[in-house]
Amino acid sequence: MKVGQREPNVIPGFGITLGFTTFFLCVIVLIPLAALVLKAGGMDFSRFIEVITSPRALASYRLSFGAAMVAAGVNMVFGFALAWTLVRYDFPGRQFVDAIIDMPFALPTAVSGIALTAVFAGNGWIGQYLEPLGIKVTYTWIGITVALTLIGMPFVVRTVQPALQEVQRDLEDAAETLGAGRFYVFRRIIVPTVLPALLTGFTLAFARAVGEYGSVIFIAGNMPMKTEITPLLIFIKLEEFDYAGAAALGCVMLAISFVMLLAINLLQVWGRKRMMVSR
Amino acid sequence: MAARFSATRPSMSIALDQVTKRYQDQPVVNDVSIEVGEGEFFVLLGPSGSGKSTLLRAIAGLTGIDHGRISLHGRDVTHVRARDRGVGLVFQNYALFRHMTVADNIEFALRVRRMKRAERVARRKELLKLVALEGLDERMPGQLSGGQQQRVAVARALAHKPQVLLLDEPFGALDAKIREELRRTIRAVQRELGITTVLVTHDQEEAFALADTIGVMNHGRLLEVGHPHDLYAQPATRFVATFLGAANLLLARQSAEGIRFGATPVTAEASEPMYAGREHEVVAVLRPEEVELAETREQLSSNFIARGAVEEIAFTGALERLRVRLLDEPCAAQLLGSGNAAEARVEVTRTQPERRELPLRAGTQVALGARRLHVLPTPISSFLACAPTEAEAEELAREPLLEGLSTRMKTRVGLRVIDVEETPAPFAGVAAIAGGDNAVATVEWLLRHGAAEVLVLPRNASSPSRVYIHWSDEAVRRATLAVSASLLRHVTAEAVYLGIVPEGSPVAGRAAPMRKLLDARVEAQQRHGLEMRTELAIGEAVTEITRNLSTGSAQMLVLGITDITQAANAYRSLLAAQPGWPVLIVFRQPHVGLRAAEYAA
Repeated sequence: MKVGQREPNVIPGFGITLGFTTFFLCVIVLIPLAALVLKAGGMDFSRFIEVITSPRALASYRLSFGAAMVAAGVNMVFGFALAWTLVRYDFPGRQFVDAIIDMPFALPTAVSGIALTAVFAGNGWIGQYLEPLGIKVTYTWIGITVALTLIGMPFVVRTVQPALQEVQRDLEDAAETLGAGRFYVFRRIIVPTVLPALLTGFTLAFARAVGEYGSVIFIAGNMPMKTEITPLLIFIKLEEFDYAGAAALGCVMLAISFVMLLAINLLQVWGRKRMMVSR
Repeated sequence: MAARFSATRPSMSIALDQVTKRYQDQPVVNDVSIEVGEGEFFVLLGPSGSGKSTLLRAIAGLTGIDHGRISLHGRDVTHVRARDRGVGLVFQNYALFRHMTVADNIEFALRVRRMKRAERVARRKELLKLVALEGLDERMPGQLSGGQQQRVAVARALAHKPQVLLLDEPFGALDAKIREELRRTIRAVQRELGITTVLVTHDQEEAFALADTIGVMNHGRLLEVGHPHDLYAQPATRFVATFLGAANLLLARQSAEGIRFGATPVTAEASEPMYAGREHEVVAVLRPEEVELAETREQLSSNFIARGAVEEIAFTGALERLRVRLLDEPCAAQLLGSGNAAEARVEVTRTQPERRELPLRAGTQVALGARRLHVLPTPISSFLACAPTEAEAEELAREPLLEGLSTRMKTRVGLRVIDVEETPAPFAGVAAIAGGDNAVATVEWLLRHGAAEVLVLPRNASSPSRVYIHWSDEAVRRATLAVSASLLRHVTAEAVYLGIVPEGSPVAGRAAPMRKLLDARVEAQQRHGLEMRTELAIGEAVTEITRNLSTGSAQMLVLGITDITQAANAYRSLLAAQPGWPVLIVFRQPHVGLRAAEYAA
């Protein structure tokens, strides 16, 4: 790969900016991650395997990544609907709704966790109606998913919103004059056009959900093998002064997250190439 | 209640009948009726904001309409959804589906219709050949140039064999050369398929190059429809005269003897005089290429109109453009400018042979002649602000409604100090006076001293959104309609004719007013291209007019009268109302100088 400026730029300083980027990435991201791997490397290999494949750890991976995946999926659908409503319709209180979207960003996660637990508990506002139906939210994986959905929602809305704004009404009008019904237009024109943004939103929401800790521990109940997420397991290891074990679990999360994010990113690059977004 | 005429002939491909579209109560398309014949290339021409694109979207079914009817090939589609109308639409920004290949874009309409693959491919190949893009099937739109993208858009719009092709400023985003090439392609495709086409543009050159028929729109209203050449040579309105190519507007006087500028008689093409027998002011159109320049008046081979000084010369290739300031001489023509009349200049274009014969430099004095003059059949030539003092006249001339009207009509507002004790000089144009207690007396005085139209202006009246039209006597119908049409071409208002049946008249006797009402509507439509709604009220005239004027804000009245004394008594309360409404009084004496034709019907 050729390194350097692609073409002469009016603003000089490629060297400075690249140097700063590298430095910043190292100090903030790469060095801590390397430390993590080193720490995990401090234990011998069979012990490492034992820690990361213990039944309790495996159950926690399933829960963490599974719930994060479901939450991001739910967000993709409802976040899209929210963004659609905000972009396409003008209704009283639109600005207000628009502002509320960002609340999960600002709220300390512990606060949202406590709030959700209170609402969904067996005697809570919503929980009291779900309980007779046999649906238990708190202290089950459903509760965890609800918490992860809450904190991931703004990511999807905020990435899809600008993309939807860019979908020209002309495209829909053109499709309509060509004989397409509304659902056909939605499926064939609107969704493909905002798909890259939707995927980005999904990725961000997923990444955020995998690493979430604060809001989940309140609603999860934290029963080993059942409602114990990996970040919590790591925390427990730390409290037991098993630093190497914690680091080992951390490495696994790191690896899985990295592979999944990379896959989604590659998917997007492929999609963008196909679209030739070179306006 | 509006009476309906559905004279839609079956051979008409597109028929719009009184189509109106409002946004927030403002009409953007105002009572437009158009008929486009089978296979015709119709160009809707107008400045931005004239409502032409909205009208196109209404034909496509993408915009609902508030009033009127749209039929395509005899089928009423007013309430039919866009996808079932069978139209093809091409947008200014191409609106191609960027995530699909050219092939998929073109086949979109065919896929929706579940056409078989083999047929789809065959149709696609055929279309790509038609727009000269063979072999580009698998490209993505992003890989094509703007001109190619628009060709794909045209092919896509034609895929499902629509009965009507609609083009919304299709060349707007392209540069000049590609524009012309694509223009030729579209014309060729249209001829080959014989498809009825409506194209929307603001570019008159484009309209001339493509159109079989041009319809000119302004302020939501369709002003004139005709063949390009006829519209250029014989426009009926100031707007069309100046929008279709450059035009110099001159104030002239017309009488039974002919047309004259100042003291100079000229020959000009004119329709029959508006008022026979009495000299009056008219607006004449002089195209820049019809101006002849010579060193002296004697050397002119055409009608002398004025002397002038060359101010500016610009070379533009084939033509030389000059701006000539008219010298202020009593015999000279008066020029109407869109802005300050004092800064108005005559625009002249000369061909190279003409230039070689008489080379000119800035500052040279020349004689101007008119090879061909066309007198507009508009009854409103200019305005004259009349007030007891100069200051009041100036203030009146600055009234927003008057200022707005004169700007839009590209005409001027003169000032006149009036003194009721003296006999005034003849009035030219529409006299404007301030509303209020003295209005009735002033109107009476003006009419008695030769003014034919008087505009009574309340303070700070805004541009009307609805204009009521009423006349007290059928003898003044024609003049009232002509003045109303002239006014309504320049404001975004809807026209409503108010017919009044006296209360207590026998039911059988009500057929006559109804017939008059229908006649009025037909005359407005046929003679002036003015679509107006009609309302019939039962009761006493002034009460009914006042009641209608009070129903909304920004309303105005055009009132035709024949008898000054009677009118002054009858409409006193209306004119003296506070704050009142703008009232344009049209006065014609039935006994003097009116030909028999004007009594008829």
